[in-house]
Amino acid sequence: MRGPLLAAAGAAMGGTGGPLARTIRAKLTAALQPTHLEVRDDSPRHGGPPGAETHFGVLVVSGLFAGLSPLQRHRLVHEALRAELAGPLHALQVTARTPEQWQSDPQNPPAPPCLGGSKREKRRG
Amino acid sequence: MRAAVRAAWRIGTGAALRGRAGRPLSQAAGDGGGAEGGGGSGSREAVERLVREHPVVVFMKGSPAQPLCGFSNAVVQILRLHGVEDYRAHDVLQDPDLRQGIKNYSNWPTIPQVYLNGEFVGGCDILLQMHQNGDLVEELKKLGIRSALLDAEKDQEKK
Repeated sequence: MRGPLLAAAGAAMGGTGGPLARTIRAKLTAALQPTHLEVRDDSPRHGGPPGAETHFGVLVVSGLFAGLSPLQRHRLVHEALRAELAGPLHALQVTARTPEQWQSDPQNPPAPPCLGGSKREKRRG
Repeated sequence: MRAAVRAAWRIGTGAALRGRAGRPLSQAAGDGGGAEGGGGSGSREAVERLVREHPVVVFMKGSPAQPLCGFSNAVVQILRLHGVEDYRAHDVLQDPDLRQGIKNYSNWPTIPQVYLNGEFVGGCDILLQMHQNGDLVEELKKLGIRSALLDAEKDQEKK
């Protein structure tokens, strides 16, 4: 899977992806104090121009999720990224686990394949 | 707020975008629907009617026959796995007012959105999780819908 490889390469180069990726990482870290965090830029798989940051997947492992339903956990993530979701962040896949859940099942499901939604709705001149 | 400013808010699109989300229904009704997107397809009342139309309602991109987004497709496929083919699906790409209205209604920023018995359940990730941990079978049962997966398991046991 390209995503984690790119993220790892980015980390090796001293930066984890583009500006939005870094913002997402920073905001989620501040809001949720995760023990484990993965920010995956899926934008290249959705046909955007190079450098477009529109589709992301995040895996957040945080003790703050304990006792919360999946819906409540996702809402916490959304709240942390409210400004981005109102702006350039077009799609966000979320996996939210407690540290215990992550330990017993350390898997981050990949995003489903793009079926071209945004390409079909926009008409570029 | 001065009356003139208040009036400007009601007339301008700013009112439609900013004022509506989270306001109590009684207030919205009192406005007479003038600046509320004309009581259009994205209004709280319209969305409320849609989510209550059927036990299973999905707001997606494209249609169940032709989803136009991987996440929306995932929802369709999961429902199909459970044998749920009779549900209401609304293509938000056809209706920008609905597309924004449904996000305001659920206070959820993305599409697809799944409603069971009029209640917002989540998007694709949550539905997938419910499918994997057995919760979806239970929730469908509460709606009087028997998941096809239960029958699939029974057949396997017989063999």
